[in-house]
Amino acid sequence: MKLEFGLSIFVILLVLLATRFNEFDAPLVKIIRGKNWIDPRRLHVEGEFVESNLGTAQELDGSLVVRMIATQYLFVPRCILVLAGVPVHLRITSADVEHKFSVNGVDHEATPGVVTDSILNLPKPGNYEVPCKEFCGAGHYAMRGEVVAVPRDQFRSLRPEERVTCAAR
Amino acid sequence: MQRAKFDLSLLGWVIVVLAIVLPATLWAAGYFAQPPVRIPSNVVWTPETIAQASNGNPVRGLIIGKRCTRCHGDEGFSDRPLTPNLAGMNVVAIWKQLQDFHSGKRVNSTMQGMVADRTDADIADIAAYFSMQLTTPDPLIKGPYPGARPTDAEIDTASRLVTLGDGTRGLPPCQACHGPAAFVQGAPSLATQNGEYIQLQLAAFSESTRTNDINERMRAIASQMTPAERDAVAKYYGAGFGVLPATTVKTK
Repeated sequence: MKLEFGLSIFVILLVLLATRFNEFDAPLVKIIRGKNWIDPRRLHVEGEFVESNLGTAQELDGSLVVRMIATQYLFVPRCILVLAGVPVHLRITSADVEHKFSVNGVDHEATPGVVTDSILNLPKPGNYEVPCKEFCGAGHYAMRGEVVAVPRDQFRSLRPEERVTCAAR
Repeated sequence: MQRAKFDLSLLGWVIVVLAIVLPATLWAAGYFAQPPVRIPSNVVWTPETIAQASNGNPVRGLIIGKRCTRCHGDEGFSDRPLTPNLAGMNVVAIWKQLQDFHSGKRVNSTMQGMVADRTDADIADIAAYFSMQLTTPDPLIKGPYPGARPTDAEIDTASRLVTLGDGTRGLPPCQACHGPAAFVQGAPSLATQNGEYIQLQLAAFSESTRTNDINERMRAIASQMTPAERDAVAKYYGAGFGVLPATTVKTK
């Protein structure tokens, strides 16, 4: 009997562990899953940066992760939606040349072939203009993205397969 | 007694297996939850594909491309406004569009039928043939290019977008990718393109009915432009203003 009792507790614990927490402020640990390098020419065909996987997603522990591509001369998606006051994973890479995603005074480098995994922390809600801070070619000065940080009451938790942006489409 | 004890331990094992498998599947289902993968184009710009695209035989292209010239014109200048001019267009740009028609990533019933039975070598040869034609149209050809002159206000709007773009909306300048200032891989030259064709494609990109642009570039740009701006830019190129680098100085 002791064995069964222990095992049922074990089952309950594991099921609880597997259930998703809907809190946004899970402790954010910088996790680099698998390889941190990627073929910049094949971003649109395979891997985590295919166009259907870009934007803001919610991890199983409840933290937010943003995946985006910098390319000549756009940030894709153009407008990123995050939660204000909560640290968010930003995973960015470049499809062609070096770019710099500069938001609220912090530069996140987008280097072809490398996934930059950094933390984006915007304390106040609002719209943040994001210029590209690395000269990337003839259209560099018009390359500009946007980050919209919204307060907690305007952000609902996301389903695992859901991706959100604030781009026009 | 011995028998009953064995049954109990079997139950225990079943519970252990369930305890591991059940949460693991739940976790994996969430962990690998991704939206259905959408691939805009199967074309990948590696040195091999670029070599394959640019090493076509134009003479063979002339022979097997007879079917193409009925709509796209003998000189690569089409007399139909909604059919693109192909004369002098970048060889990789033509090659990419033909590949996308072939794989069904770009949808057009006419063109998909035309390339359905073409091999990779045929596509490279046809692209080579059209890309080698002159960008100056024969004056004897009564085609839609060059189109009617746009109004001064339209030229002003269009030349601003073509030269400078609009940084406040994240709109890069057209000529930074489509020439003549600079080109990116696979972007077609717009210098001698039919205006109505450009307008149709911009509308298709903005409504996401054409989705074969790698990394959503043209969809993002076209949906940021207003219909009036799309119209102005299309007329600007259609009237032949795109041949030289644009200036923001108002032309008379």
